[in-house]
Amino acid sequence: MIQLKTLLNCIDNSGASVVECVNVLKKKRAATIGDRIVVVVQKQRAAGSEGSGTALANKVRRGDIRHAVIVRVKKELQRVDGTVVRFGDNACVLVNKSGDPIGTRMTGVVGQELRDKQWSKILSLAPVNV
Amino acid sequence: MAALPTMRQLGCLRALLKTQEAVQPQIGRRFISSIYSQRPERVPLPPNLPKQFLSQLPERMQPENGVPQACQGLPSAPSARTACKDPVASVTDSQMTVLDPKGDRKALFDYRRNARSVKPGDIVRVTFKNGDPFNGVVLSIKLRGIDTSVLLRNELTRVGVEMSVKIFNPNIQSVEIVQRAMRKPRRARLFYMRSRKHDRRSVENVVAAYIRQKRAFLGGNKR
Repeated sequence: MIQLKTLLNCIDNSGASVVECVNVLKKKRAATIGDRIVVVVQKQRAAGSEGSGTALANKVRRGDIRHAVIVRVKKELQRVDGTVVRFGDNACVLVNKSGDPIGTRMTGVVGQELRDKQWSKILSLAPVNV
Repeated sequence: MAALPTMRQLGCLRALLKTQEAVQPQIGRRFISSIYSQRPERVPLPPNLPKQFLSQLPERMQPENGVPQACQGLPSAPSARTACKDPVASVTDSQMTVLDPKGDRKALFDYRRNARSVKPGDIVRVTFKNGDPFNGVVLSIKLRGIDTSVLLRNELTRVGVEMSVKIFNPNIQSVEIVQRAMRKPRRARLFYMRSRKHDRRSVENVVAAYIRQKRAFLGGNKR
């Protein structure tokens, strides 16, 4: 149940670590896995090595407004076969306007609902899906 | 301030007159609704009514239509309650014969009666028909007939994941007990294992060891 002001973890290497939802797109209700939202970057991931290359480090900065796709939610989700899935946190991945992920790597498990909503690029980046 | 009657003794007379004026017309007034009259008795038709007057009577009162009868209505449908005493049980039974004909899946989760069944606290591996497995600690078993489900908890990539699986789901290939609970938990529902203090964390290494062992027993077989 992601809505206005919800804080989410960002699990890609785009440079954001915590983002805040400011809008849910194409939906009048709370967003869930596979939904696209608009976020504000609240906390930046510390760039690994400051001196080496800033171009490689953070693609987004604190205060940036970006689109994101939700990949994990705390609220339990029921699938068509009756299984119910619940994750330990709310997490998302930043995407650009055309829907391609901004980061190149992802850490952490994502929900399989992304497959139904045609986010196969995100699914292929994810190490595990449940 | 109104004058007290003791100060002006004739003033009370006027007050008396006033009340009379206000009350009197109401007593005499009669409303249409207040007129009550008995409902008039229905006058039966004279027995020997001349024929020329019959055309003035409505259809239902014509002598050839007879005495008006109360409408009988249709006979009531047979009661479903008597036809099927316990519909939920019959649906459950019919579904059980389809989804679990041998009854072994039911026995595997019937933790109240079967001592060898899955119990809360065990580590279980559920493999789906599409090939992806889910491992986890059993937090609770909901015995609800055909809707019986088991809640599994695991930690994948340092994120807690819970999955409630319906055990008679036809998409499930197999359910294996990987490890029994170390000692019998004192609860039937182990929701306290969600708290950080009691969390079992990842069970992937336990399951991996089990799979290695199983492969060794089966002699190089896959899975």
